[in-house]
Amino acid sequence: MIRRLFIANRGEIALRIIRTAQRMGIVSILGASEADASSLPAKLADEVVIVGPSPSSRSYLSVEAVIAAAKACDADAIHPGYGFLSENASFARAAASAGIIFVGPAVESLEAMGDKLMARQIGTEAGLPVIPGGEAVDKAAARLRAEVTGYPLLLKAVSGGGGRGMKRVDAPDELDRQIDMAMAEAEAAFGDNRIYVERFITSGRHVEVQVLGDGISAIHLGTRDCSIQRRFQKLVEEAPAPNMPDDKRAGIEAAAVSLARHLNYRGAGTVEFLVDAETFDFYFLEMNARIQVEHPVTEAITGVDLIEQQLLMAGGARLSLTQDMVQPKGHALEVRINAEDWRADFRPSPGTVTRAIWPGGPGIRIDTHMTRGGEVPPFYDSLIGKLIIFGATRDEAVVRLGAALAQLDIEGVDTTRDLHRAIAADARFVAGGVDTRFFEGLAA
Amino acid sequence: MTIQLVDVTMRDGNQSLWGATGLNSAHMLQAAALTERAGFRAVDFTSSSHMAVAVRYFQNNPWERIRRMRAAMPTTPMQFITTGLRFIAWQQADPEFMRLVYRRLQANGIRRFVILDPMHEVPAVIAAARIVKEEGDAEVMGALTFTLSDVHDDAFYAGFAKALAASPDIDLFYLKDPSGLMSVDRVRTLAPAVKAVIGNRPLEIHAHNTLGLGELSSLEAAKLGISAIHVGIGPGGDGSSLPEAERMVANLIEAGHDVAIDRDVLAQLSAYWTRLAQAEGLPPGTPQAFDASFLRHQIAGGVMTTTKRQLEELGMGDKLSAVIAETEQVRAELGYPIMVTPFPQMVMSQALFNVIGTRRYAQVSDQVIRYVLGKFGKPTNPVDRTVLAAILDRPQARALADEDDFPTLADLRKRFGATMEDEEFLLRAVMPGDQVDAMMAAGRSRATCTPEAAPLLALLKQLAARPAARDIVVERPGLRLALHAGTSL
Repeated sequence: MIRRLFIANRGEIALRIIRTAQRMGIVSILGASEADASSLPAKLADEVVIVGPSPSSRSYLSVEAVIAAAKACDADAIHPGYGFLSENASFARAAASAGIIFVGPAVESLEAMGDKLMARQIGTEAGLPVIPGGEAVDKAAARLRAEVTGYPLLLKAVSGGGGRGMKRVDAPDELDRQIDMAMAEAEAAFGDNRIYVERFITSGRHVEVQVLGDGISAIHLGTRDCSIQRRFQKLVEEAPAPNMPDDKRAGIEAAAVSLARHLNYRGAGTVEFLVDAETFDFYFLEMNARIQVEHPVTEAITGVDLIEQQLLMAGGARLSLTQDMVQPKGHALEVRINAEDWRADFRPSPGTVTRAIWPGGPGIRIDTHMTRGGEVPPFYDSLIGKLIIFGATRDEAVVRLGAALAQLDIEGVDTTRDLHRAIAADARFVAGGVDTRFFEGLAA
Repeated sequence: MTIQLVDVTMRDGNQSLWGATGLNSAHMLQAAALTERAGFRAVDFTSSSHMAVAVRYFQNNPWERIRRMRAAMPTTPMQFITTGLRFIAWQQADPEFMRLVYRRLQANGIRRFVILDPMHEVPAVIAAARIVKEEGDAEVMGALTFTLSDVHDDAFYAGFAKALAASPDIDLFYLKDPSGLMSVDRVRTLAPAVKAVIGNRPLEIHAHNTLGLGELSSLEAAKLGISAIHVGIGPGGDGSSLPEAERMVANLIEAGHDVAIDRDVLAQLSAYWTRLAQAEGLPPGTPQAFDASFLRHQIAGGVMTTTKRQLEELGMGDKLSAVIAETEQVRAELGYPIMVTPFPQMVMSQALFNVIGTRRYAQVSDQVIRYVLGKFGKPTNPVDRTVLAAILDRPQARALADEDDFPTLADLRKRFGATMEDEEFLLRAVMPGDQVDAMMAAGRSRATCTPEAAPLLALLKQLAARPAARDIVVERPGLRLALHAGTSL
């Protein structure tokens, strides 16, 4: 049984984990950087330790610093949140060596899903459809691949994530130049210049499935649609994926469960798919072996606390939920409020929040660590809060989202609120089921 | 031997102390994780009456309540208590209807059933246990419902337990003492008599602390090889509920037993229930003084209070002792029904009619007529022949003898449409439609509850109800907050 939980993260997700841990009677210990020493999560955690200086490379991303801090405060488990070390197999291994439970899947699952190529191979083994394509070690190999996949195509870093280093190529004459750039970026960002060539689906939707496993059995908690993205960064998420035929939805959910079972997956994970917006054919992209930023929309429609399930599974419990017990109801939307000047190419806007009025009322959940006087440090991701809006129907949720955004008032830093107001008012969004090109067509 | 504990706070504690209407889904969900971590053998969680209360009073979906509790409690079995063949309605239901009830309960996470037949009818209990087992793999516990009467001696209970033990569908047993009548002396003979006939199946004890005896008889039972003791936590223990958990643990340890419980977590859970009871105005159970007369009349506090009030309203407050004496007489004539719901109300109302009416049994309630007609099952002891004749010699008895039984599952399906989902169907079949509508319209209940916020929320609700108030003053020692409406820009 987990008694002392070390939280190796910051911001809203740290606070989210603290809340569930406290309700479960688990002592929450926040491992904060110096910049976050007086953050709201640090104030609300049962205990705080400083893991290192402000730059994340010396604190949140340092395996040695985090493990040393967790050991020093006698933690028996580490929750990595999302980002930072959450999918780092060496970190999970180091925790295990230190006798500390890693709240996440087995190291083998992290390794299997941490590498895009291996993920694709394992997905194929589990019977999941994948997009035509493959790895390329050099330019010649990439050209050969491109002949098979056809155009448009995507070049991705094999070790990449979060959309960094991705290039779209529309015609053969652009290929060589883009390959050079993609390889150089991959080398710079990940120390690994291997790239991956795959067919680009022109009108695609990003649909993912939340799965839960206990290492023996696995279930799904329905779909999420995260098609509204800018440069592969998600802006708005919703559950369930709207305007999708029932049989296709059932197919994608079953595929996700097959993969989780194939991996003997333990804990919460997300299986991502690219769905052709016209035919609804779906292709397995990757699996995120951790909690996702957008997990609250799934919680809103299923009533399941995913952090609690992670902690229960990590503590060795068997899954008590059955597929039959998961009965999603209603519709949920999530918008990410970032401290960014979105009209100036989303330039980060660090500083002190001088006013923070978050909306409230029926169907509104706010996950934030930001109150008046809160600091947005320049060192990290600019997410300052999430609005999670629930409605009995999608239409009701969309109306509530508009009203909630009108109430939201943050001063001291720039935010993406007005971008979200434009999205919420966009006829395509109101209708539902947009593809990943939505952002390009946004009139804001 | 290590003693395990069964937590009754949410079902029996709630029922014994707070009329079963004290706790809603959010109150329970907030307690789920700590309850899981404390390490109970099981949690006495719900019954069909509690499911009806969830719908009627709180607009909480009782099926969803079970599912969400189960999600948070993977290792602690949640228990459903049933008389076997009834679901919310008083009539015995079609066994196929009950089969669907047991299927859905198990599909949603009920892992343990108590089958309690106050009439101790062996075939009825075994039949219900079989249906449960056919619809899942939950464990089934047979109730030996204790009372003091001429017929309920040790041999009676041993005989009943032995007959049930012949069924492979009964996994364990418990001594259930709903009125708290079992003395230390009695448990010394009763527990061994039962253990001798049930082989290696476990025996638990559930002794209400109504007279302060439950605590002592449970501690005595621990010495006699009992596997688990039923307790209520903090404000949900004592009074007419079960012995209080933390004190029981301390006393068990004092007596040299190991107790399979995490005392730190139990203390946190107890603190939560205490804060919640305070916030919601739920009177905590308190240790009870011994009252020898209770052993004679066995009338539970709630029924006694109601009857006393009714007599006073009729200007007959001086008749209370006559009604109590008559209650003992009526109970004997009706074949010693065990004083568990609904029998105490039934027996004492009859006694009241007998005392204030012109002749005994001149006026008889429909429930008493149904009882002697065997509609609640076969009375353990035959009903007095003269009394039976008097009760049945009236037109209403003939009408009730002919009244429709519970409809068949097929007929109910026809009435509500074959496509209605099972869980909604089961509620609509036995509850007023508008109550089910309101529950469905209310949506999912909250998952969390912060007792500390309750007074503030109550204050805000009160303020919102008075939009015309122009002066609002909140005053407490050391604090005065005054708001006065005036002109504004």
